[in-house]
Amino acid sequence: MNIWITILGFLATVFLAFVVGVFYGGFVRKITARVQNRVGPPVYQNFLDIVKLYSKKTAINHGWMQHLGPAFAITASVTSLMFIPILNGTGWFPWFENLNFKGDLIFLLYMMVFGSLGMALGAGQTGNPNSAIGVSRGLSQMVGYEIPWVLALVALMLQTKTTSLTGLLDYQVSNGTWMMFESPFAFVAAVLAMLGMFHYAPFDVPFAPAELSSGPASEFGGKYLALMMSSGSIFSFVKLVLIVDVFMGGASNLIMLVVKTFALYMIPVLYGIVSPRYRTEQSIRYFWGWPTFIGILGVIYAVFVR
Amino acid sequence: MINDKNSKKIVDIIQDFSRRHSLFVLAYGTGCGAIEIPPTMTSRYDAERFGIRGMATPRQADLLLITGYLASKTLKRVIRAYEQMQDPKYVIGFGSCTINGGMYWDSYNTIKILSDYIPVDVYINGCMPRPEAVITGFIELQNLIKEGKANGAQKYKENLEWYRENQKKVIKDWKMPDYNW
Amino acid sequence: MTDTILDKEQKLVQLLEQTFKKLSGKVVRQRRVTVSVEKELVPSVLSYAKSQLGYIHLSHMSCVDWPENNNFEIIYILWSPADKVQLFIKTLINRENPEIDNVDMIWKHANTYEREIREMYGIQFNGLVGAQEFILEDWDDMPPMRRDFDTVEYVDDNYTFRPGREDAGDVREEIVKRSGEDIPDFAKKYSRD
Repeated sequence: MNIWITILGFLATVFLAFVVGVFYGGFVRKITARVQNRVGPPVYQNFLDIVKLYSKKTAINHGWMQHLGPAFAITASVTSLMFIPILNGTGWFPWFENLNFKGDLIFLLYMMVFGSLGMALGAGQTGNPNSAIGVSRGLSQMVGYEIPWVLALVALMLQTKTTSLTGLLDYQVSNGTWMMFESPFAFVAAVLAMLGMFHYAPFDVPFAPAELSSGPASEFGGKYLALMMSSGSIFSFVKLVLIVDVFMGGASNLIMLVVKTFALYMIPVLYGIVSPRYRTEQSIRYFWGWPTFIGILGVIYAVFVR
Repeated sequence: MINDKNSKKIVDIIQDFSRRHSLFVLAYGTGCGAIEIPPTMTSRYDAERFGIRGMATPRQADLLLITGYLASKTLKRVIRAYEQMQDPKYVIGFGSCTINGGMYWDSYNTIKILSDYIPVDVYINGCMPRPEAVITGFIELQNLIKEGKANGAQKYKENLEWYRENQKKVIKDWKMPDYNW
Repeated sequence: MTDTILDKEQKLVQLLEQTFKKLSGKVVRQRRVTVSVEKELVPSVLSYAKSQLGYIHLSHMSCVDWPENNNFEIIYILWSPADKVQLFIKTLINRENPEIDNVDMIWKHANTYEREIREMYGIQFNGLVGAQEFILEDWDDMPPMRRDFDTVEYVDDNYTFRPGREDAGDVREEIVKRSGEDIPDFAKKYSRD
């Protein structure tokens, strides 16, 4: 009986992540429109887009890796979602906390890259030059933002003497504090790295619709694009929940979760709306500059001060 | 009722609703009409509130917007872009040049009637049509999709020989791949 | 008064006529000088103007068809930033066997103009390297910019017209007839009658 509840919880988690992620996408489009003094699409617009794309015919064949690429992306998103505690206590949905496998931060770091690599392989096989350029740009940018991101997480691990996500959550709950106050440098470095992780402007280097015609996705239409959009929605939710878990003490109920993740999401979105796009080397230089320096400060702070 | 092929199922209703409220546009900026697209998409006229969104590649788009005259050389590219698009797909002919040649009625290298070469669902008249007219055309297309009349792609598949014959009349050196869409 | 203003233009014409015997120059107006040469002299006149007279920029290169005289006229427009004078160098070539020397070793960008003229007028440039097709694709008719090329006839042969659009005629009457409305007042003043 227990396993059925786990499976139900699994499905409910994926559903929640999908719905919240897609609605966040809709909100982002609406907010962007309001900032640009437009009316903007309705909030549910991304649902319509995804339903429409799923109902399109898809008759493109470039080889089996191309079919697997979007599948890899969504696998990576869902798997990372499974290892992240959505809520920290027994909240409104008691299954959510039973679901995670006491996930490990280092494992998650690898898991979160897997989707991009799968997409890179899939896009590489399409043979579209724009895809190839987009993939190389995306991977180089990943080299950029992974460094402050890893430094921030290492600072946390050194400070709390644990690499487990649930351990981090317990530490925050039992001490009654948030890691963003305990280790402010690491939080700043992680937020700066998050700007790159969400691929909003000025870090939308790999997609660049004006020059690369949407980069890695340029040969994927119809159902593949729908898979990629769903995967992107779930994955943005994953990243937000992860940062909320490790820095902001998790959330005890769904409403707090939505409030915290939405507030966090607005940082890259609002920064992106008012920014033009960086070039690849500018974006890497950005991440290897102040974010990395602050990340190193965070590690020093964790080792010597705390 | 469920097995009746003519009845509209709830899936069809959802599909049709999402299809007509989410049009991804590939704006093929051939002629002067390309300059009317930025005001249509930006803050003054804001076509995004109807779910219309620019897309960069034909693979992702469902609506091909031919903005203005087509030289016989660009017709080749348009046909390739159109055939790379995934079903269901629609075409909007934009401006009088696509309808009857417009001011290029006696030009030796622009085609005169666009619907001889690719199926056109909606024509927008004008030289150039203003953004209001463009948005009216989009809404007309949405109504056609609602009524199930926007079946240009169907027409293209059924009358492929006729279209190919017309295309080959203009594109003399036919070196195009055959798509198995 | 005018003499002093046209000083440098006349000096330029004198200099060119002294250097090349078979050359006739004319001052059109201030800052504009026309020079007619034979087609064999064109490369030497151009390189002389570029290296000695300071006309370092080829602004444009064009062609005019004169079927009345059985000639093509090739025009090179040069510009001197020091003198601020536009120098038109014109040459006539026979229409039956049109060929002229290629000058893209003097200005590299002349290559583009020459390829366009070759395609649009069918003039052969000796020694010109570059793809045969420039703007037109699969063109198998007469070069379209020649004046004896009948555009309307070509269009009639190759394209179909939508009924009612066979010429550039005024379509307002037709619209009035079909719709049953009057021509609005603002449109009447643009009427072609």
